[in-house]
Amino acid sequence: MLKKFRIKAGSADGADAPSFKGTSAKDLRKRFRKDRHKDKKVAVFRYAYYAPAFKFFVEQVLDCDYLALPPATKRTMELGIQSSTDDVCTPFKHMMGDWIEALERGANVLVQVGGPCRLGFYGEMQEEILRDMGYDFTMLNFSHGIEQGYVGWAKEVMKMVNPDINVPHGVKQLLACGHMMTKLDQARDLYMTCAGFETKPGACKRAWEGLLDALEGCTSAKEVDAAYSAFAAQMRAVPLDKPARPIRIGIIGEMYTAIDMESNLDLDEKLMGMGVEVHRMLNFTNRYTHYNEPNLRRGISEYVTYDMGPTTTLTLAAAKEYAERGFDGLIHAKCTGCTPEIDAMPVLRSLSKDFKIPILYLTYDTETSDTGLMTRLEAFYDMLAMKKEAQLR
Amino acid sequence: MSTANTANAVKEAYLGIDIGSISTKGVVIDEDANIIARSYLWTEGDPAGASKRVAAELARQLEDEGVRIVGAGTTGSARRLVGAMIGATVIKNEITAHAVGTTYLHPEVRTILEIGGQDSKIICVEGGIATDYAMNTLCAAGTGSFLSSQAARLGVEVEEFGKIALTSEKPANIAARCTVFAESDLVHKIQVGYAREDIIAGLCRAVASNYLNNVGKGKRIEAPIVFQGGVSKNEGVVKSFEDLLGQKVMVDPDGHLMGAFGSALLALKAGPVQDGGTGPFARGSFDFNAVQDFQFKTREVECQKCPNNCEVICVYRDKDIIDSWGNRCERGAIPCTR
Repeated sequence: MLKKFRIKAGSADGADAPSFKGTSAKDLRKRFRKDRHKDKKVAVFRYAYYAPAFKFFVEQVLDCDYLALPPATKRTMELGIQSSTDDVCTPFKHMMGDWIEALERGANVLVQVGGPCRLGFYGEMQEEILRDMGYDFTMLNFSHGIEQGYVGWAKEVMKMVNPDINVPHGVKQLLACGHMMTKLDQARDLYMTCAGFETKPGACKRAWEGLLDALEGCTSAKEVDAAYSAFAAQMRAVPLDKPARPIRIGIIGEMYTAIDMESNLDLDEKLMGMGVEVHRMLNFTNRYTHYNEPNLRRGISEYVTYDMGPTTTLTLAAAKEYAERGFDGLIHAKCTGCTPEIDAMPVLRSLSKDFKIPILYLTYDTETSDTGLMTRLEAFYDMLAMKKEAQLR
Repeated sequence: MSTANTANAVKEAYLGIDIGSISTKGVVIDEDANIIARSYLWTEGDPAGASKRVAAELARQLEDEGVRIVGAGTTGSARRLVGAMIGATVIKNEITAHAVGTTYLHPEVRTILEIGGQDSKIICVEGGIATDYAMNTLCAAGTGSFLSSQAARLGVEVEEFGKIALTSEKPANIAARCTVFAESDLVHKIQVGYAREDIIAGLCRAVASNYLNNVGKGKRIEAPIVFQGGVSKNEGVVKSFEDLLGQKVMVDPDGHLMGAFGSALLALKAGPVQDGGTGPFARGSFDFNAVQDFQFKTREVECQKCPNNCEVICVYRDKDIIDSWGNRCERGAIPCTR
């Protein structure tokens, strides 16, 4: 960094400025673009299937190196538990494990998102804990900048991570990153309605993993579209054996636990394995990109008057929509201590009574056992299947 | 199913075993779903041994009956282990097994309350079909284990608990939310000098109200109500439920066996074993002696193929691996040797 500074200082007074004579304008642009790159290793926490989008954000928007984390293991969880207070919500512990592993692997910058619940305080808390543990890093905490609007946020990002970001390019790529998230969610929705009925085991999964691989290599919105099209074509070609009226289950709940497979112990995959059509309105696109809380609340005005928290309105709106569409059951997934989703539960109970739709409530913490979850899911499935059988008879 | 039963032909029957955390239950039903043999004993931390003892007990009861057991089902927390052991055709979770068993015996039932050794559940039924259920999560307050540990503290046999509770006129008020707090509350009441029957009755009431506040929360409890599971044998808890709900609560004499009965029914529905392999069903019908003779062992293997180190559980019959589970991906799969 010092060296660069010296060159810049030197070039300012023209003492030993490199000669640009003879280089074309194209080469010059290239050189400047290259200079914008920072050799910082940036890590984002593990979250569901969004790793390709995080990579895109780091490489294309921040113009830094992305530090990819391997799949989480029991050790990740143990590290997270050891470094968190016991009462904190479970995602905090998962993220702490991710941060420690990222720092061990050489990360310089950690990216924490902001949020409208306790999530908004995660960055601050985690930074303090990690500093107390003796780690040295930069925490790019979106909760700081986000209150200052887009410009304030961009300034914060540039100040903290990379002052040389080409702003117009960064904005364009940020939109492309959002586009990738939308496509990921769209692909997951398609996958969850098909994978339970494939006749060749693993065919859908291969297409899905192929999409993730392809997206990892994308550098523009156009490439994202191409990758999605290839995935969709592959999915349509998978032979399905789907009954006319399959069992349909909607997953609702809290933003992290209901989506993240590491936290919910592969809830959606387990259901697909039983031959269920799985729906989940809750995802990044519906919660952030296309989120219009007051309008969403309009549809459930008989149940709620006020916005109760980060995902509560979406949870209830999704539940009502699924109930109206005649779904067989709903699964409400949340982590221990998620207050907004606890607030949603009494409303869900009256919804369940009004529409006669069973809801399975699952609360996850770091000790939740796979066996116990499987017992409950199997029982829920058996119940829905027997009910369906009796209805169709 | 064979219907060509001549006078001296042996009847076909089905076995159901429910291996819970505290007790192991076994029943044998005939083709018309009548219970012809039953057994109930403590698991004592040894599900394989307990199942062997249940099998021996059932065999003794069936000695003169002349039945062939052509199918078996298991349920309960050790269903997988014992299912592998006896070569069960149906291995089902305890919630389904209970719902199936109870709705068969009581088709008119609307609500099933169930309290077992470490779990408690509620099943809502409509038109003979389960429509909703809930099971305790994260907390086992107010289950059978709680009652038996408190019984030990008071120096009373848990079987006597209910009778003593009924003699109380003024049950003590005991915190119901948490087992540990309930216990400290209990110690306090003992030290202050409450009558023993009042404390016991208070405990029974605490179990019932804890159940209704946690598991039964938000569920419509409609009559007819059936209460089952090990704790249903406790008259004190039954009475507390009736007081709290203001409704009659039915307790089936075989209520504690309902899981085993349900899994036997599911086995009956699935039909006779087709290929028994080398297990106890090798000759087409269940061989009670074979189960006793085989040596079953469980070993835990830590998979080393990735840093997650899944604990894979392998069940051995003599020297053969007959089942394994616990691996999260295919790489950790351990094939059966038979």
